[in-house]
Amino acid sequence: MPTYSQTSQLDVAGELLTLLRDTTTEPRPDTQLEALTLAVAADLPVLLWGEPGIGKTAALTQLAESLNLPLTTVIASVHEPSDFSGLPVVGDDPAEHGVPMAPPDWAVRLVRAGRGLLFLDELSTAPPAVQAALLRLVLERRIGALQLPPGVRIVAAANPRSSAADGWELSPPLANRFVHLQWTHDHEVVVRGLAGTWPRATLPQLDPEALPDAVDFARRAVCGLLSARPGLVHRLPSGETRRGGPWPSPRSWDMTLCLIAFATAAGASRDVLSLLVRGTVGDGPGLELLASLDRMDLPDPETLLADPAGAVLPERGDLRQAVLDGVVAAVRSRPEKSRWDAAWALLVRALETGAPDLVVVPATTLATLRREDWDVPESIERLAGAVSVSRRADHAAARVAVAAKAGR
Amino acid sequence: MTHRTPDTPGELDLDKLYAARLHAARARPYLATALFALHTVASRSVPTMAVDRHWRCYVSPGFVDRTPVEELAGVWVHEVSHLLRDHHGRSDRVARERGLTGPGERLRMNIAADFEINDDVYGDGLAEPQGAVRARDMGLVEGKLMEEYLRQFKLGPRTAELAWLDCGSGADGLGREWELGPDGAHGLTAQERDAVRFRVAQGIRGRPGSAPKGWQRWAEEAFHPPQPWRDLLGAAVRSAVSGAGAGEDYTYGRPSRRSAGVPGVVLPSLRRRPPKVTVVIDTSGSVSDTELGSALLEVAAISRAVGGRRDLVSVVPCDATADFVHALCRGEGIPLTGGGGTDLRTGFARALKARPAPDVVVVLTDGQTPWPETRPPCRTVVGLFPRGTGSWIESDPDYVPDTPPAWARVVDIG
Repeated sequence: MPTYSQTSQLDVAGELLTLLRDTTTEPRPDTQLEALTLAVAADLPVLLWGEPGIGKTAALTQLAESLNLPLTTVIASVHEPSDFSGLPVVGDDPAEHGVPMAPPDWAVRLVRAGRGLLFLDELSTAPPAVQAALLRLVLERRIGALQLPPGVRIVAAANPRSSAADGWELSPPLANRFVHLQWTHDHEVVVRGLAGTWPRATLPQLDPEALPDAVDFARRAVCGLLSARPGLVHRLPSGETRRGGPWPSPRSWDMTLCLIAFATAAGASRDVLSLLVRGTVGDGPGLELLASLDRMDLPDPETLLADPAGAVLPERGDLRQAVLDGVVAAVRSRPEKSRWDAAWALLVRALETGAPDLVVVPATTLATLRREDWDVPESIERLAGAVSVSRRADHAAARVAVAAKAGR
Repeated sequence: MTHRTPDTPGELDLDKLYAARLHAARARPYLATALFALHTVASRSVPTMAVDRHWRCYVSPGFVDRTPVEELAGVWVHEVSHLLRDHHGRSDRVARERGLTGPGERLRMNIAADFEINDDVYGDGLAEPQGAVRARDMGLVEGKLMEEYLRQFKLGPRTAELAWLDCGSGADGLGREWELGPDGAHGLTAQERDAVRFRVAQGIRGRPGSAPKGWQRWAEEAFHPPQPWRDLLGAAVRSAVSGAGAGEDYTYGRPSRRSAGVPGVVLPSLRRRPPKVTVVIDTSGSVSDTELGSALLEVAAISRAVGGRRDLVSVVPCDATADFVHALCRGEGIPLTGGGGTDLRTGFARALKARPAPDVVVVLTDGQTPWPETRPPCRTVVGLFPRGTGSWIESDPDYVPDTPPAWARVVDIG
């Protein structure tokens, strides 16, 4: 019978669909999802930049699930400004009672629930007037007369200018309010996922004990950089390429401070922090901040000088040289015989535990700091390895110079 | 002396290797951070030296033994250049974009990357290592990027002797068996790699005099790769014509089509007022015919971006004078006559005199012109043809042309 066979065909189809949906998950570190989670936890509006179909919505679904928040998706480009600023409803006597601005139903439901994840999709294809209305929603968390409760977090998504052929670019004020995260797909993850195993990200957990230290660290990091580089405090995007992206301003630095504190309290990796910081103040200032964080991580020259025998120097050559340069600079700023001797002991230690070429420049500089009445310490004999390396390099340079002359 | 020579043949002579690194860092101080950030791994599987994408440097002990220090220094700089210039990332991108698969293609990428580096890293105190492959050996023009070289040669008899060439996954993105991989010790994380590259770029930009042109270009673009100018120009024009007061926006002047569904609610409707665009084209002698041709093509593209109303796009050819305004609807036959010096101020004046006044003025020029002193009453987009050398005026050798004013959005047309 036709009816019977149709039903059974649908049943079989249902069975096939169940089989297809039967996938498992495996834990896997995911830096972009960690960054997204931290920014959402810090209650900062996030903007995901990514090509269409790359899994932004899927990531949001996973995030909402793990934070146990209901997800509300609003496609910004199909809405009108009044959907975000409130729809004017004419009452009995507008002159007497005014015209109330009625919020749309999704906003009412969101406010009633008191908590939720609001996902504004396709922000970049929304016309300028809609973007202007969204500015108020993102900044003041207001939709018409409604105030979004603190439990609501906002995430937006946009397509990059290159792929949105008819897109508008984000205005600088709107861009400055977001943490911009570049959303890309990982080839391996996609292939493995289609084969039946999707990744399950382990989300960062804030450590309650680490909170005061995290705030202290974040303040030191941001203030340290900005007092040394006042030009970085506020810089409007100038070039055409950087329009619509993150840029530094007191507001975005404040967001950065907040994000550093959250990342520190959650024990997030530098890669996660890098995504967040560069997504808030832009690549240039962000990289400068990260570089100064790296310097904050280096051992303090004074501590090293106080105990050269127990000093632990970084493994990586460039960092090790930065530390040794710092030690020599510290001796130069307050030259005393004991400090000078301690610095030599440190150089010997560096030579014994690492590459000799790193020691050459600090040793040469340290030697020039000698006062007449200071005796050369015995330990300097042990720096002969560095001297011979330096001499070989000198000879090579001389040979190159001779060859260049002969070639001319 | 504690000078260490290898006790047994085949042991890595670290002192020699580090002497070479020191020489390299002295010859190229701006690369010192990157050179010192590399982690050395002795390996018998590499023919010479190779790098992986995690900034480990694999070194063949035999190669160190038979190579003089000054040449080793050149190899150090060569290998670190692969990493700084992100050759592995760029190879992966090219492989995806052009569908290049297989080890043969990766070898080609390695060779093309070597061409790019070897063009300009040696000399000036740094010796060129024996057997460094140069683009000119294959009859190619030097000074190109790896992506450009890739289009210009195939594997064949001329590259047969390069088949042993292997700079590791840091050069062409293809993982090797002998590499330690992402989980191995002493690798740099993505953030650390960026930090090192950033510090090197900053060092070069801080003292631009000491680095050759190729490195300066790299430093400028390391974290801001140039975008295709067509996209940028399109976006600039689009955003200029769609801003408030021009183009598409909301109006309460007419009820929205959605009004019928929600009685009692006043909704705005989307109105489109097609913007009027005037393109001022610099036809002075300093702009070549090819550039004018591409400029005209852009005018056509802009007219489409504005919504296809070609009658709303007009063209003002401008040299020292601007006498005529042409409507684009008259076809492609706009006479781009002119030559001699430019004064774009007349072009601006001419464009603004039109009634109705334009919403947007697009200027296509090489920038060797005086600009209006005050901001015109409309949005301005400037498409700038690049000029390598500064302008020169016989009577005034110190003449430097004005840069486009701050009120204009400037797109470099390359």
